[in-house]
Formats: sequence, C-alpha cells, structure tokens
Amino acid sequence: MPDGTSEFGIGAKVLRKEDARFLNGHGRYVADIARPKMLEAAIVRSPVAHANNLKVTAPEDSKGRFFTADDLSADCVAPIHVVSKFPGHKGSDYPHLANGKLRFVGEAVAVCLAETRAAAEDMVAATGLTFDALPPAIDMIADAEPGAPKVHDDWEDNVILDSRFEENTDAFKESAVSVTRDFRMNRQAVNPLEGGAVLAEWDAREERLVVHSASQIPHILRNALCECLGLSQNQVHVIAPDVGGGFGYKCVLLPEEIYIPWVAMQVKRPVRWIQDRREHLVTAANAREHHYSVTLHADSDGNFIGIEADIHVDSGAYAVYPHSNILESTMAGRTLHGPYKMSAYKVRSRAVATNKPPIVPYRGVARPGICFAMELAVDALARELGREPCDLREQNLVPVEAMPYTTITGGEFDSGDYPEALRRARGLIDLPAIRARQEAGEDDGRQIGIGFGCYIEMTALQTSAAARAGLAAIPGYEQAQVRLMPDGGLEIGVGVQNHGQGMETTLAQVACEKFGLEIEDVAVRHGDTATSPYSTGTYASRSMVMAGGAISRTCDVLGERIRKIGAHLLQCDLSQTEISSAAVTGPSGSVPFAEISRVWYRNPEELPDSVDPGGVEAVSGFRPEPDNSPFSYATHAAVVAVDPDLGSVEILDYVISEDCGTIVNPMIVDGQIIGGALQGVGTALFEESNYDAEGQPLSSTFADYAMPGSTHLPVLRLDHLVTPSPLTEFGVKGLGEGGAIPPPAAIANAVNDALREYGVEVAETPITPRRVLTAIWKAKQSRLSSVETS
Amino acid sequence: MSDLTININGEHVTANVEPRLSLADFIRDHQRLTGTHLGCEHGVCGACTVLMNGEPVRSCITFAVVADGTEITTIEGFDDDEPMAQLRQAFHENHALQCGYCTPGMLVAARDIVTRLPDADEDRVRLELAGNLCRCTGYVGIVKAILSVLEQRCS
Amino acid sequence: MKPAIFEHERMSSIDDVVQALANADGEVRVLGGGQSIGPMMNLRLAQPDKVLDLSRVEGLDGISEAGDRLSIGARVTHARIEDGEVPGTTGAYMQFVASGISYRSVRNRGTIGGSVAHADPAADWPTALLALGGEVKVVGSGGEKSIPLDGFQVGPFTTGLGWDEVLIGFDLPALGPNTKWGYYKVNRKPGEFADAIGAVIIGNEARAVCGATESAPFRVFDIEEKLSGGATELSVADAREILSGHDAGFDDYELQIHAVALSRAIGRAFA
Repeated sequence: MPDGTSEFGIGAKVLRKEDARFLNGHGRYVADIARPKMLEAAIVRSPVAHANNLKVTAPEDSKGRFFTADDLSADCVAPIHVVSKFPGHKGSDYPHLANGKLRFVGEAVAVCLAETRAAAEDMVAATGLTFDALPPAIDMIADAEPGAPKVHDDWEDNVILDSRFEENTDAFKESAVSVTRDFRMNRQAVNPLEGGAVLAEWDAREERLVVHSASQIPHILRNALCECLGLSQNQVHVIAPDVGGGFGYKCVLLPEEIYIPWVAMQVKRPVRWIQDRREHLVTAANAREHHYSVTLHADSDGNFIGIEADIHVDSGAYAVYPHSNILESTMAGRTLHGPYKMSAYKVRSRAVATNKPPIVPYRGVARPGICFAMELAVDALARELGREPCDLREQNLVPVEAMPYTTITGGEFDSGDYPEALRRARGLIDLPAIRARQEAGEDDGRQIGIGFGCYIEMTALQTSAAARAGLAAIPGYEQAQVRLMPDGGLEIGVGVQNHGQGMETTLAQVACEKFGLEIEDVAVRHGDTATSPYSTGTYASRSMVMAGGAISRTCDVLGERIRKIGAHLLQCDLSQTEISSAAVTGPSGSVPFAEISRVWYRNPEELPDSVDPGGVEAVSGFRPEPDNSPFSYATHAAVVAVDPDLGSVEILDYVISEDCGTIVNPMIVDGQIIGGALQGVGTALFEESNYDAEGQPLSSTFADYAMPGSTHLPVLRLDHLVTPSPLTEFGVKGLGEGGAIPPPAAIANAVNDALREYGVEVAETPITPRRVLTAIWKAKQSRLSSVETS
Repeated sequence: MSDLTININGEHVTANVEPRLSLADFIRDHQRLTGTHLGCEHGVCGACTVLMNGEPVRSCITFAVVADGTEITTIEGFDDDEPMAQLRQAFHENHALQCGYCTPGMLVAARDIVTRLPDADEDRVRLELAGNLCRCTGYVGIVKAILSVLEQRCS
Repeated sequence: MKPAIFEHERMSSIDDVVQALANADGEVRVLGGGQSIGPMMNLRLAQPDKVLDLSRVEGLDGISEAGDRLSIGARVTHARIEDGEVPGTTGAYMQFVASGISYRSVRNRGTIGGSVAHADPAADWPTALLALGGEVKVVGSGGEKSIPLDGFQVGPFTTGLGWDEVLIGFDLPALGPNTKWGYYKVNRKPGEFADAIGAVIIGNEARAVCGATESAPFRVFDIEEKLSGGATELSVADAREILSGHDAGFDDYELQIHAVALSRAIGRAFA
C-alpha cells in the first residue's frame, strides 16, 4: 500500500507530463509525419453489401500505382485468419483486399497511390468495378436462421458460434415472478478524433519494414505483419507515435495495417494512408449491436432466482485480429448476471455474421449491452413487484461479506462493497427528493425520471481466464524495463500504449512511489517495438494493473542492485539500506541516485570485485497471484426530463459512485470516468450506425451520425469507494472502460421511470426522440385498445 | 494552379497551389505546421480551427486560395499571446485534454470565447463549445479551464 | 475526403460574375463563405468544374436601413448578424436566428446570401427569411431584379435563381417595434441543421412558416389566419391538424415535431 510519503507517488494529483506538447501543437500523430518521396494512398471500396464475381478495372496510366487482391496473392500475402478455441466456432479468412466476393459496403478493394491524397482519390473515382450483387444478410436475428443469404459460402449458416451457458436450471421452478423483455443496443461507431493511420516504408539500410500506425497494440501488429507478409520479427519495426484516442478501435488489426506496408515495399517509397471520417464511420469502426430476449425470475420477496436469455450479437462479416468475432457474444453469454447473486442461469448466445463491417471491441466491450439488458430487466421486475428499483437492487447485489465471490458462471469477484456504491449513489442523487418532485410535477410539462445502473467490470483480463474462455487472443503477463540513467533519473520502457490515458504520468508515479523520485526525473517510453518489452498492448483496462505492476516489481529488482552499490559506498550491509527520496540510506548517511549513477557509469573502478555486472537496468514483470482479474464496479444514477411533445431527453443530474481500488492519480481517474460516461451518453441517446435493407450505411458523416457534445452532460458528480484489490500491486483495479458501461442502462431506466404513467418502456438504444414518441404513441394505442376490449 | 500570399504566424508565405487544396492541408502539408488537425473534414468537429484575421474559422472547409491575403494564426503562433498562455495553463491544471488531438482546435475556439465573451457563464461556454468535439474528456475539464480563465481575465 | 479538381476564379465585380456565368460551360458554382459547399465538395457530393469566388467583390457586405426597408448584402456573415449589426426588431429576430446557425467558426465565414442560394431545406435562413418576407436581389445578364422570398426556394437545393444569375442581397422589411416574432428550432445539438423549424412574425401582417422539411419551407396560411384573427397560442394538436392538411410528405413523427416547432414559436412570440 502507498504510504503517501512521495509527493509524486500513488494517490497524488500529479499534473500530466504529456500535456505540454499537445498544448503547443507539438504532438506527433501519424498524419503529422511526412517522409521524402512519400506517396499518399486512397482506397477503392465496395459500393455494395454483398456481391460475387468482382472484377476491377484499373484507372488509366496507373501502372505501379494501383494494387488489388490479385497482386497480394501473386506475392503470397496471407490473409488475416483468427482462430478461436471455442468448439464449434466457424473460422474465415479476412482478406486484406476483397478477392472475388464483397461482404460489406466499404470493404477495401484496391489501393491507389499518388503524390497527393486528392490525386489518389481521383484514381479511386476512375476505377471500374463490376460484380453480381447478392441479397445481403443484414438482420442478425432473421439471418441467423437457415436459408438466409450466406456471408461465407462454405458455412452452413451465418451463426459464427452458438454458445450455451447453463447452471442449475431446475431452480427456475421456484420462481414466483418473472418478467420477459426484448432489448436492443444498436450498432455504433467508435470515433476517436484521430481515425486509423498508417505510414510505412522499407528501410534499406536497416533492412527492415518501418511502420508507423495509430495503434494500441504495436507488438501485436508486428506479429500480424510477420504472419501475413512472411517477414521475420527482426525485419519489422512498428512505431505508434502519439495516438489520438483509441477506445478499443485501435486494439484490432486493420487490413490497411497490412496492405499499406506491403504496397510500400512494392513501390520502394514511403506510403501513407490516413483514414478519413467517412471511411471511419462506414468501413471499419463499428461496434456493439446486441439483441437480448431476457426473462428474469424472482421469488415472491424479490430475491432473484436466475436469468434466462437468448442473445444475438451482430459480429459483421469478418473476425478481427486478434480478438476474433466472438468476444462480445461469449462475454455477454457468460456474464449477463452482472453484479447480482442468483442460483440459476440459462443463456444462449449467438454471434452472427452479417454483411456489415466487423465489430470491434469498443470501450466496455459487451458490458454496455449486458448492463443495459440486465438493468432494464431489474427495473421491469421492480415495476411488476411494485418495488422501488433501487431497493430491489440492494437486496440482490453480491454483499460485501460474500467477497471474494464465485459467480454462477464461475467468475471470481475479488473485492468490493457493491451495495454501498448503490447506497451512496442513491444518497447523492437524493432519491426521495426526486420522488417528491415527481409528485409535484414540472411547470414546463416535462416528465422527470430517475434511473440506476449497476455494473461490474472484469479488468485486466487475465491469462488463465482468457484461456479458459477460449479467447483467440490471450493477454500475457507484463514486463517493464527500468533503467537508472547516468544523471540519476529513471527511464522506463513499457509495451503498453498511451493514447490519452496519461500513462506517461501515472506509470511514472509508480516509480516515484517506489523510489521517492521527482516526477520530472522519470521518463516513460512506449509505442515502439524496437525499444520496449513485448506486450499484447493496451486494452481491457489492463495497463495500470499490468504495466504498473510490472514497473513496481522491476523497481524491486533494480532497487536491490542500487542498494548494493549504495551499501558499498556507505560501507554497510545491504540489509541496513533502504531507498527513499531518490537516495540509498544506511546507518552512516545517504547516497543520492546521482552519486550511485556516477560511480556505476563513470567510475566503476570504485566498486568492489563482487560488483553485480548486471548494472542498474532491469527487466522484470507482473502476474497477479492468483492469476485472476480485479473487478471494478460502480452505480450510475441519472435524473432526466423527457419532453412528451418532442420525445427529447435532457439529463438533469448524474451521479457515479465507483470503486477502482487504490487510486493512482485522482485527476486522471476522474477524467477517465467522465470521458467514458459521455461516451455512454452517446450510446444511450445519440449514436447509431444505421443500415438500410440493402446494407447501405446511412450514417456516413457527422451530419448523419450524432456525437455527444459539450451541452449533453452538464452535471456530473463523482464519488469514490476505495477497496484495494488483493490481487494487484498497490491494490489497483482497471478503470479505463467502466465509465462507458452503465449510462445507457441508467438513462433508459430514468426515461422509463419518467414515462411510467404512460406505460412506456423504451428498450432500444439510442433513445432518440423518434423512438420515445413512437413508444408513447404505442402505449397510448394499446391502452385504447385494451379499454375497447374490456 | 493558383498563386497565393498568406501571412502565417507572422511570416509571409507565397505559394502556387491547386485550388482544391484546403487551408488545413496547406498549413499542415505545405507549411509543415502540423499542430492543426483534421478530424472530420466536413466542418463539424472543430479540430482544424485556426484564426483568420483574428477570427476562428474551419480550415478544412476553407480553400487555401480563399485565404489569399489573410493573416492566419495556428496553434504554433500564439507564443506571445496572453489569453492563450492562460488557457494552456488552465487546460493543464484542469485535465482538459487526454489524447490531445482536439486540443489545438479547442484552444483556438476557447481563446475566441474568453476574448469575445468576457461575461460568459457555464451554460454559454458549453453552448459555444458545441462546435468542437472531444471524444476523451467529457468536456468537464475543458469547461472548467475556460471558466477559470474568464475569471482570471475579469479580475 | 478531398475535392475533385476545379478551376478557381477570383471575381472582382458583379459584372465579372455575370459574365463568367454567361460564358460558363460545365458546372459553375458561386462561392460565398463556402461553409455549405465546402463540405459537399470535400465529400465529392458537389463537383463543380469552376468556382467563382466572391470574396473580392465590393459592395456585397453592406447593411443599411431606409425607411421601413432594410438592405442586406449577400456576403454579410452570420457572425455579423449575430453580433447585432442589423438594426431594430428585424435585427433582433435575425440575431436570434444567426446565433443558432452552426458554430462561431462557421458563422465567421458563412454568409446569408450563400445560405439562401444554397437552399438546404434544413438551413435556417430560407425559413427565417420567408417568415420575414421581402425580396431577394439578383443580377444576371438581363440586369438587376428582385424576386420575392415567397416562392424563391422551390425545392431542396433549388431556387428561382437563373443559371446566369447571382444573388447579391436582400431587401427586407424593417419590422415595427411592436412586432412579435418567434423562432423555434428542433435539433439534437446546438448549431446542427434543424429537424424542424417553426418561424412566426406577427406585425402588420402575420406570417407563419414551417421549415426544415424535405423540400422548401412553406407558409402555413391557416395558422397565419388564426394569428391575424388575434390568436396568441396554438396547441400542438391544432398545429398537427393544420399541417396534416399540407402535402409535406411528413410521417407521424415529422408531423409532430413540425407542429411542436410552430406551436412553440407562437408561444415564444407572445411570451
């Protein structure tokens, strides 16, 4: 545990080391890098969702500047292929460039190269495409059935994986009350402000391929480049410079990250591809799209018996590397229970292939959908039972005395007081006051509602858990490289990637905590396969738990080496030394790190013969003991006003009570949660990637795709519980994703609470004015017809 | 091709460019001032906001040839600018940036708010910021930073 | 997302423009502030062969009042109107409208003339000015003429502007100090194009306009009649009833939000 003695250590509000360059316009993103003789790429993309017999006619005078799948095949470039260990998983290739068959609008068909992007786009416009259009599979529920148009010809049907999770189903017989509902979380796009970006060139001097990419996973990208292009690891150097937001979109491989480097090798010139916003919205950054048919069972006192569900996840046309196309469906199937105790479980979950872009693991990964379905079902049950939804939650959340707790599906909650988070959120938002306000009514004719959303997030997904779950990508244990520099400062190398989380500061804080350094004396290096330890990268809220843990452990190793030198200089025994305030202290005094460095680097002759030649640089790593994941959790509570004439929803108040374990930097923790929460508001109210029946995307610009803005979440209050995880260094838990998980649930519950007198239940995101009004009218209609029939 | 003369960050620049070249691409690719970013290229996200003759404009939907004869200030051109210095410090202290991609455009828009609307309250600041998208911060830090600079400049 | 190739010509006078339009072959677009055409060109939804740049043309950025008329040049920016440069009650109304158009950095470039000539059905000025009434000033090969705002926009992105004509400004009524006005825009985020607009002006005459439709904004005479008859409010249900008599192609939801917009615009006018 942190002792609070370091000004810059764990728990300190340290201002960010990385801010200065961004504030002065000196950040360097891929698009900011230009190389001599660089060519710009624009991509010919499929205009239809489903077709075969694709034929491509190159523009005139494009020899050597135009490449298709035929060129890739001729050079034996291997397609992306992701293998899941789940029995019954249907595998498919993900061609970098479409090869005969087109499977979604926007799928890459050919690469055009020119001196400018505009000229390359002229080539795209001059490219001829012919094909035989096929009926597309667009509806994940209908198209999961036999007889639907098949996305992959050699498959029996479009079901990628049909998984069933069943425990103690006999117990369902004990249920006294059941509610059954359908819920849908629609497809949306990730939209970091910087989209995908690749700049590749063959470095003839180094004899290796140098690829700059806006990536969360530079080492994984190197693996993929080696696998697809047949290069050795030593022939590939991947650099992720400043990355303009990722949110999961950049923890999967884009086809462009393979074929742009390949094209650069063909033309022997640097080639740059910068994804524009339309490409981002249409081709590659889709996420979510879940449908749930849920029945929640309880006894007559409201104790949950269990849950039955049939889940569909629209995974799109292909499996993304390395996380595959079943990450969401299996996670939804396995953890629909959320933070609640229950004794019976029967969930079927299907990942379905459709003629849409592959879905990527966007912030929260499956859990926004899970939370939406479960939390709306809880509110529906509360209405059925005539209970205050908050009370029903409190009664059924896993209680603190049950920790650590094994869930019905075998998950292990490590620590925390889930009901306390709920109680605190309820207190902060003042539930009785809202109920009183509802009684009084609003002067402006709007309806007020309050809603809650509780969730758990398994953070820093662990190696053995991932292996047990049959995931295609198994996250590894994590290493850090820590070097005492010749001036007594510290340089840390990590393989995780910083793309806004402030890791250059928070990871440095770990070393400050261990050694009592000043924050400016610690530099964190990342984003370069040539200079950092191997890592599977940044995703799954893992970086602080894993890389932070690795730095801590490596500091232990390095600390002993430093102390050995210090002990010699202080002429005392190693056991008599300790490190604080960047110095080794012994009985006779202390030696600052700068002096240790002077001796080691410049005057090693002063050291005894028994000196450890390993020096003042160490690599070590972290693995939780036991190998489990720390669970973060929170309750979000929202108060909304619904305008029943316009169907619009305004957030009046929003409260979050959360527990991410030990807080490394409170400013950054708050920033992550708030940022996530607004993305959750986007999912709840605004964002939707629409497709028509032909699979044509209808949300291809920010004019058609509504992003949440500065006016949409004006009030937000945060409250922190701190339950250190027993599994991790300092007790930290991951927190990057959590903020985005429950807003759709909390806001939808608030809307339904507001409209309860109308008998309205919205059950689909985003909760647009059109959907709200349609729900109101439908409820009115059904009341009228029930009056008529009675 | 068209000739143009622009004063960028106090420096006179002449060039011969394609009419279709945006001011943003001129600034970034021709002048190599890459602090100005492109987030949507259709005028919605605000990442490309720069000053033209002292007023914020979208450089992605302004052609370079149209900027002929104007004075352009990009994020690299505010070294001696008091409001920008205040905003930079306030953004730093209020955690008003994460990935940094929207930050230059956000700062230019924020400078317009604090200089044009000295009496702006939180609602007004939020309204004025609606034209600049930030995907990371949820705007809380940005709004706080701007309000703190407004307060500083008042007193 | 870069535009297709086009030719750019800097115009030095309106005569230049008229001549260039008359001699044009291929698609020619007149560039005002470029804030609507710019995005469309970047998306290659618009691919003009030639762009006639008005930025150097003198005499298009004036605002003047003469008696009960206001003259506003085509190249007056939304920002200048937002900042209150148009005087009187008309100015107050236009200031309110301008401040809701897109964002300040767009308003600094975008022009009132460009917006009306572009005729995006979801834009503010076509609806707002139709409610105001008045005339569009146009110059073409046949010289200068005025076209009433009533009927100027005939459809989405389509106006009564001839192929060889250029919009140079507006002749608008200077509303009396007792004139009531209300403008209500339904959208999801400040500054975005509207999903529905209701605009009403009740002065010497009453005008009520339903805007942000699939096509051109239209006057709602039944509502104008009620307002002329002294009505100071209109229920959403009544607005729905009246609008459903118009062949606007609304579905149920669109009918509702346009009815609400008009009802609330009237509410604001008399608030």
